[in-house]
Amino acid sequence: MAEDAVFVPVRRLAELIRTRRLSPVALAETFLDRLERLGPRYNAVVTVTRARALEQARRAEREIAAGDYRGPLHGIPYGAKDLLATSGGIPTTWGAAPFKDRVFDFDATVVRRLEEAGAVLCAKLAMVELAGGMGYRQPNASFTGPGINPWNRDAWSGGSSSGSGSAVSAGLVPFAIGSETWGSILSPAGNCGVAGLRPTYGRVSRHGAMALCWTLDKLGPLALTADDCGLVLEAIAGPDPADPTAADRPFRYDGDGPVGRRFRFGVLRGITDGCEDTVRERFEQSLETLGAIGTREEVTLPNLPYDDVTRTILFAEAASAFEDLIESGRIAELTAPEDHYLPYVRDSVLAKDYLKALRLRGVMAREADRVLSRVDALVAPGRLTVAAMLGTEVRSAIRGTTRDVMGAIGNGAGLPAVAVPNGFGARGLPTSLQFMGRAWEENTILAAARAYQSLTDWHERHPADP
Amino acid sequence: MSETDAVRAEVDALLALVRERYGSRLTAEELDAVRTGITGVVEAAHALRKVWLDNADEPGQPFTPYRTDG
Repeated sequence: MAEDAVFVPVRRLAELIRTRRLSPVALAETFLDRLERLGPRYNAVVTVTRARALEQARRAEREIAAGDYRGPLHGIPYGAKDLLATSGGIPTTWGAAPFKDRVFDFDATVVRRLEEAGAVLCAKLAMVELAGGMGYRQPNASFTGPGINPWNRDAWSGGSSSGSGSAVSAGLVPFAIGSETWGSILSPAGNCGVAGLRPTYGRVSRHGAMALCWTLDKLGPLALTADDCGLVLEAIAGPDPADPTAADRPFRYDGDGPVGRRFRFGVLRGITDGCEDTVRERFEQSLETLGAIGTREEVTLPNLPYDDVTRTILFAEAASAFEDLIESGRIAELTAPEDHYLPYVRDSVLAKDYLKALRLRGVMAREADRVLSRVDALVAPGRLTVAAMLGTEVRSAIRGTTRDVMGAIGNGAGLPAVAVPNGFGARGLPTSLQFMGRAWEENTILAAARAYQSLTDWHERHPADP
Repeated sequence: MSETDAVRAEVDALLALVRERYGSRLTAEELDAVRTGITGVVEAAHALRKVWLDNADEPGQPFTPYRTDG
């Protein structure tokens, strides 16, 4: 067993493995044990992939012993959100009861690339059914039960990559893959006090991932640190003939970055309007901390209906992507009662309004780039609130019960963002800070987040095992 | 017609469409919830329609003609 390896960042684990002070097989056994023992307490896991994990770990051990070291993910365990196709008889459920026994005969490109990097798939992780695309209003919206927050087991772990957030937070895996259409990486990362990276749209192939919204879906990592997110992104990024939207832009993570670099941070005027008090306080403290590594300026955007643009695109594409499920009435088999009828709302989006939203997306992208071209990153609270409590309604910009300008612009324009923990708010729950950058500038926002984490220790605090 | 009346009229029309297509599956309570949801959709649409765009403002969406190799 390698219990000392729990809550150790990927970069450190990689060094231990590379120098043969840590066995990939022992490491896999440790996390498989934690997934099986602790995973159910958080409703974090759909399937523990023990056989595949041990096969991959043994292969990694043999290769490294033979001097064939593939890189920093070689021998590192991970979990994948259960919307990524996996071969070998491992179910891919999309978190939804109608698909709980469904099996694919191929691996999603991300899963394949992680295998090529030598990573060890230990689990398929729980998620909100259909990535929340049917309009759920409360945490109990998955056939595996509501995602439970490791910091407070009466609270939600966030959606829709619930298991990806809680599994990293609880030390069940060193890193996980999640997906974001609008908020589904940054939300569970923030709720669970871990780092989450939403890459630029097109940075990572979506082949083999459940489609919720073809022009909004992104895949990205959740991990203990922003640095780890960069290591994972390098392994999964790149063009893919199977996904025409995957850009032909090689990504090489600059993990060292220029030492002592100064950053220019922008803060959107009024960005903390509607924040919980403790979230606003943590954000203001973070701005003080960022003063040590850069300058700050208030920025403004033209008055456009950002939330409405992204919401309209999401509604229309989700209704089309799940047309078969909606038309057949099989949505009645979903877990959340509201998912049985709210999908019909999306039939009311008119084609001309959808196209207007797509046209306004172009305007939004240009305006966002104009502002972002003057700074290295926009900073903002990762979320306006701490995690919702189980059994309560979740405030959601997608449903219009709260606002999320950063999320609407970031997802609507396909911009990268990374969230990292920046303290604790109400009920002992984590708060988070997000850095959003220009398209394809993951290295810049990761450098800023890394610099912030070098000045703070929030990422070194972990929930106690129950 | 006021903005509110215009939204309400559009919501009524779209709800009638949903009722026609799926009404047999929906309870009165669920239809009320669908009405609330449609109201949000229509309000968003009205916000989009208030922004005037130029003819050259194309959808931010690439389309690539398809052709196999050979």
